[in-house]
Amino acid sequence: MDEFSVVGQVVGGKFGDIIIRQKSGNDLEIGDLMVSEENGSFLILQVFSLEYGSQIQGKMQEMMSGVNLEQESNAQFYEPEFVNYVLARIKPLARVYKENCEVKIPKSLPSFFNKLRLISKDDLKFLQKEKDSIFVGYIRSGSKVIKEAEVWLPAEDVFSHHVLIPATTGRGKSNLVKTILWHVLDTNKVGALVLDAHDEYFGRQSVGLKDHPRAKDNLVYHTPSNPPVGANRLTINLQSIRPEHFEGIVDFSDPQFQAIRMAHRQSRSNWIRDLMLTDAVVAGMENTSQSRGEFAAATMMVVQRKLRLLLSLERDEEGVVFSRHEVFDSTTRGLTTVDDIVKDIEQGKVVVLDTSRLGNEAELLVGNIIASKLLQKYKDAKASGELDRKPVATIVIEEAPRVIGVDVLTSRNDNIYSIIAKEGRKFKVGLMAITQLSSVIPKTILANMNTKIILGNEMKQEREAIIASASQDLSEDDKNIASLDKGEAIITSIFVPFAMPIKIPLFEDIVKEKGSKAKPEKTKVF
Amino acid sequence: MKFAHLSDIHLGFQKHESLQKIEQQVFEKALDECISRKVDFILIPGDLFHVNIPEMRVQKFAFAKFRQVHEAGIPVYGVYGSHDFSPVSNSVIDLLVAIGYITKVTKVKNSDDGKIALDFLIDPKTGAKICGFSGLKVGRDIEYYEKLDRGSLEAESGFKIFLFHGGISDMKTEAGIEGDHMPLSLLPKNFDYYAGGHMHKWNHQSFDGYSNVVYPGTPFAGFHSDLEENSKGQKRGFVLVEFEDKIKDVSFVELENTSYEIIEIDANNRKADSINKELLEKTQGIDPGNKIVIIKIDGEMTSGKTSDVDISGIRESLYQREASAVEISKNRLTSLEYRITEAKGENKIEIETNVFSENIGQFRFKQKNLISDAGVALAKKLLSEFGQPKLENEKKSDYESRIRQDALGALGLKFDDS
Repeated sequence: MDEFSVVGQVVGGKFGDIIIRQKSGNDLEIGDLMVSEENGSFLILQVFSLEYGSQIQGKMQEMMSGVNLEQESNAQFYEPEFVNYVLARIKPLARVYKENCEVKIPKSLPSFFNKLRLISKDDLKFLQKEKDSIFVGYIRSGSKVIKEAEVWLPAEDVFSHHVLIPATTGRGKSNLVKTILWHVLDTNKVGALVLDAHDEYFGRQSVGLKDHPRAKDNLVYHTPSNPPVGANRLTINLQSIRPEHFEGIVDFSDPQFQAIRMAHRQSRSNWIRDLMLTDAVVAGMENTSQSRGEFAAATMMVVQRKLRLLLSLERDEEGVVFSRHEVFDSTTRGLTTVDDIVKDIEQGKVVVLDTSRLGNEAELLVGNIIASKLLQKYKDAKASGELDRKPVATIVIEEAPRVIGVDVLTSRNDNIYSIIAKEGRKFKVGLMAITQLSSVIPKTILANMNTKIILGNEMKQEREAIIASASQDLSEDDKNIASLDKGEAIITSIFVPFAMPIKIPLFEDIVKEKGSKAKPEKTKVF
Repeated sequence: MKFAHLSDIHLGFQKHESLQKIEQQVFEKALDECISRKVDFILIPGDLFHVNIPEMRVQKFAFAKFRQVHEAGIPVYGVYGSHDFSPVSNSVIDLLVAIGYITKVTKVKNSDDGKIALDFLIDPKTGAKICGFSGLKVGRDIEYYEKLDRGSLEAESGFKIFLFHGGISDMKTEAGIEGDHMPLSLLPKNFDYYAGGHMHKWNHQSFDGYSNVVYPGTPFAGFHSDLEENSKGQKRGFVLVEFEDKIKDVSFVELENTSYEIIEIDANNRKADSINKELLEKTQGIDPGNKIVIIKIDGEMTSGKTSDVDISGIRESLYQREASAVEISKNRLTSLEYRITEAKGENKIEIETNVFSENIGQFRFKQKNLISDAGVALAKKLLSEFGQPKLENEKKSDYESRIRQDALGALGLKFDDS
């Protein structure tokens, strides 16, 4: 190590909280990564706190400041760089063995008085891209980005073990999800269902996943109205909906659920249409007991009202039930949509559903219908020994507490999302849950989310929930997480050797660099 | 003014003589109806023939009928379908075009710069503006639509018709074959009528920007499963459209074909003996005279082979009782003991596709065209080439040479005599 690259020296502390003195002329930042060369290996350490140090007593410093301020003199310390300095508190992240680039969790301190330097690309050679992995960003040391050190995560492991993306608004969630999905599109090793509540991923108006060179083969976009060229109309036939799809999504009372199940038993596939066309009062009066009949009529009216609001259903003059946002159909349209989407995911495609026109519950219901079928197919594949041939499937869900929040799961039955969070891993089906509120997700589910890509979060309670459930020890990283700027993140995962600080590139830059370019070539038309 | 819209006639599909007769009769009846109803023109968006070069018998009656239509002054506008087109050899459609009985509507203005610009063909009598694309196998025509310069087509004024051959996913009612459907959004907007081919059931729907997207369906049968649908009451015929500057009426002209009997057996959790017994009882309970008898056996037997289900005896007895044809579907019959079918499907093409898709993963090749979807497409293409029948009066050596060349063509190779 040449003297110019030295940024500090170990002067004290204990394991997990080592104190170094910053060399003058340097400007260490929270999150900076540094290296301590050891015998045959090196330690990677990270700054988690900065403070001043001085050889002069505090009273003396205060007095000297008084002289400067009150007498307008310019008194200075003799050899100030020796007298006053910055102390950084650092923690070891990893020990890398030079011989085989093996990375291990450090269990010892750096040598006392060892001089440290900032990390460089050569120290990160162990971050090699493996086959079928997903790019998430570049290693970041403080606010400095090491562009040569790309961070790739093993796709199958990461997605089947669930991914949590906690962040508050404006910290680059969409950019991160788009970046991940962009790389998912590279191969057919991962199938994804994306419930896109803001219609922002496909890139209808600007750049988006549609600009990927393999989008034609691997990206499927469904939107309810005016689909762009090549996109599908999102229409789901009411016949695809079964009573259990409402469980854990919609607040139906027990009698209401009984009414729904009864309607399903009576009319089978067309149960929603028939139920909506039933005259609730007449149906209620047909009952033998007057009081029970009134109750049934009232229940049915409530069920009809709830379904009408939830699915935006109307009835035209010819008695045809239709939905105002055109997503649900009671005739012959959309009969195969769910099967088609599941088939696409099974083929390793990314299926983006524009759910921006749907209400909150309707969006979750659509996801529920598809996710239920998907999980069932993967369970069947496991039973018949064919699961190995299927790509891992991930379901991207925004505002995840809507379905895996503690209040939802205690007040209602389990829904498909919580089932996937708990047991999906066995069947290669995972969740990619995006949330501002990690603290309302039960610990049992948070613990199952084995990869967390933590973006900036100013809410202490949320940071604490994330830190408590991280795969690596982030107990000293509270300030670090709070100070994450837009596009900066920390990855904590059982699939990375240490909590990695990363910088996620701008999606627009990725598209500019790698997006598809039209080739003007002649086409033979028969 | 009015025009007729027929599609998926699949002339030459039927192998059984009595069914061939019905196939011919239905075709002739359809065109006779067009003549007697004095339509201004006829649209046929593909799969007029079941193969690109059908046997001479089929060509003979087809040419004779189109000559009649031609002499009646009715133009026929069409595109190739996925069955009657071959990229490596000619199609009998080309002969019909060459002698002026059919006019192909695909007029390409330019396709050099990564875009395909189409020109309209204008029907001289009605002024209707017509254009469209042929359908290629396994959805390869999707590239046409992706590159289509749709702005000029959409902006064109007047009464416009677009011909296409392919499934539209927005109108799909059953699973179907992989790659067989494309989204409606690929078609250019603002046409008055979209004349579709490829889907075998009558379907007429309108969407935002796409009014009157219509499939007449096959007038008789182009798949074995069509006969089954017929036996269950599926209407067959063609579409008659009245128009001025806009569509006035779209109606379906039903054509009777023949009478049917269907026998369905659920083989789930049963043995061959019990299935055979039920088959016998059910066939004895019908009058098969001059009818097409469909026997469908579905499900998973608990033991034995699927071949233990005695079909040949039943078939023979039905023919003795003067059934005009006996069609037996055991595609979805499996046995727990002998699992011989790994992939299921509704019809032959679907089964072939699914079997290839299921098994392609076992192969490891560096050549990308031999694996995954491309591999499945290639395998299907090869199988289809090998399945071409020998033509009447074709020498065995000529037949072998033709099949060899077609197969090599499918593989993108050339035969080297040396």
